[in-house]
Amino acid sequence: MTIQEIERTLIQGIGAITNQDEAAIGPETPFPDLGIDSLGFVEILVFIEKTFKLPLIASDLTRKDFETIRSLAAFISRRV
Amino acid sequence: MLVSKRKRYLSGPDWVINTLDHMMKATTSAGNMSQVVLQFDSPQDENEIRTRLARFVGAFPVLEGSVSRDIKLAPYWKIPATTNKTLLFTVHRLDDGDGSAFLSLLEKSVNTPFPGRKEHLAFHLLNGTGRSFLAMAFDHAVFDARGAEMFLNLFQESMNSGGPVSGDIAFVSSSGLTEWSKKFLAGRNVNRRIIALSRSTPEVLAPPAAGGRSYRYHLLRFSEEETAYIYDRAYDEAGYLMESPYLLAAIIETVHDLFKDRTGSGSSYLIPVTMDLRPGLDQLQEIFFNYVSYLFYQVPVGDAGDRKALIALLKQQMYDQVKSGFPRDLAEASLLTRIAPLPLLGRLLQLPLKGKMATFAFSHLGKSAYRHCDFSGRRVANLFHMPRVPMPPGIGFFSNYYDKKLNLVIAYLEGLVDDQVVQQLDKGIRSRFGVVQPT
Repeated sequence: MTIQEIERTLIQGIGAITNQDEAAIGPETPFPDLGIDSLGFVEILVFIEKTFKLPLIASDLTRKDFETIRSLAAFISRRV
Repeated sequence: MLVSKRKRYLSGPDWVINTLDHMMKATTSAGNMSQVVLQFDSPQDENEIRTRLARFVGAFPVLEGSVSRDIKLAPYWKIPATTNKTLLFTVHRLDDGDGSAFLSLLEKSVNTPFPGRKEHLAFHLLNGTGRSFLAMAFDHAVFDARGAEMFLNLFQESMNSGGPVSGDIAFVSSSGLTEWSKKFLAGRNVNRRIIALSRSTPEVLAPPAAGGRSYRYHLLRFSEEETAYIYDRAYDEAGYLMESPYLLAAIIETVHDLFKDRTGSGSSYLIPVTMDLRPGLDQLQEIFFNYVSYLFYQVPVGDAGDRKALIALLKQQMYDQVKSGFPRDLAEASLLTRIAPLPLLGRLLQLPLKGKMATFAFSHLGKSAYRHCDFSGRRVANLFHMPRVPMPPGIGFFSNYYDKKLNLVIAYLEGLVDDQVVQQLDKGIRSRFGVVQPT
C-alpha cells in the first residue's frame, strides 16, 4: 500500500468518525483542526487496527505522528 | 422514518433519561436536571437579556413537549404547534463581597423543580456589580450537556446574525420497532458485559441517613497556565489526546484515598463515563434530546494507587469497549426498555449489581460546543456545568474546557459526603494534577 493510498483510506475513515465531509479533509489538514477528543481518537485507533492490522493504543505515538493525516500515513507506512 | 414537527420518537437513551428523571423526582426534590453556567466579569442588563432569551426560546415549541405513547406503545415527544408559556427567568442579587455566594445561589437554582410537566427550561441570573452569572437549568429530557451548549451557541449566532430564528423543526425519527434481531444481539452483548462487571463488588458511598434531597457542588477552576500544564502532563503520562483517561486516573486515585480511610467492602471502582453518539446529520435537530451512551470502567481496588498502571488500564478498557461496539450496543439495546413503564424500569435498573450501580459518575465534555467569547454583548469569563447525579451513585465529577481553561465540578447529594471530604477531594485532585495552589 502506498502512502497516498493510506492517506485516502485515513481520510475516508476519519471523515466517517468525525462526521465531516471527506472533501473538507486533506492530507495536510492539522489533526487538532478535526475537533477530536479522547474517544474520537480511540475510534480512529480502532479504525487503524481494523484496517491496517496495526494496534496502536499501547504504542509510543507522539504529537508529531499526529500533526497531519500525511504524517500519520507516514507513521503507518513505516509500521505495516 | 417519521418526519414531523409535532412528534419525535424517543430513543433508548432518551427513555433511560426519562426513567432517571422519574426516579430522581421520587427520591430528591427535583428531576434529572442540570444547568450550564456562564460567568461574566460584568453585570447583565436584566430586562435586555430576559427579552432576548424569551424571544429566542419562544421559537422552539419542542421545549414545551411531553412524553406520550402511540398506538403501538412506542414513546414519543409530543410537540405543541405553538409556544404559550412565559419564560422562566429569575434574578438574584449577588453580593460581590462574598466570594462563594454565587455557588449557594446556583445550588438553589439547579435544585428547584420545574413547575409543570411541560416546563423543561429555566434561566437564573445572578447579578452583582462587578460580575454576573447566567444559569440555564434544563431537563435532560430535552438536552444533554452538549446539546445545552449548542442551544446557547445558537442563541449567540442568532444575536450576531440579527435574523429571526425558526425553531419549528421537522424532526426525523423512527419508532424503532423493526430490526428486532439486531436489538436482541446488542442486548446480549450488553448483558454479557453487565454480568462480567457484576463479578466484582463496586465500592459505593452509603446513602445519607437523613435522606438528602438537594445536590451540592464544589467547583475547581484552573487558569490558562494551570490548564496548559495539566494537558502537558496528560500528554506525557497518558499520550496524545488522552486527557480524559488522565483526568479520570487522577480522580480515581483521589477517591481511592477516601475509600481507604473508610475501609469500604467493595473490591473495585466502577465508573460509568458518558460518550457522545451524535450522528452528525443535522446540527439543528441534534441540539435536542439525548445522544449519549456510556463506557464502564472497572478498576480493581489494588490497582488504584499506581498511576502508570491505572492509566494503561483505563486506556485499554476504553479501547476494548469502543472496538467491541459496546456504547452503540447499549444505545441499541436500550430501545428494548421503552416498553417498560418508567416506575418499573426504574426498579429494573437497580437489579444488576444489587443496586450498586457505580462508585461515581464521570464525564469530560472536552472543548465546549459554545464557540463564542461573548454572550448577549458581555464577555464570557467562564462556562461550566452543574448536573444532578442520580442516586446511586449520587456523586460525580464533571470536567469541561472553555476558552483554554479547564473546570472540574464535584456534584454530590447533600449528606453523602461532608465539607471536609470535599476539601480532601479538592486537595487530592489538584495535587495529582500538579497544581497545588487553589485559584
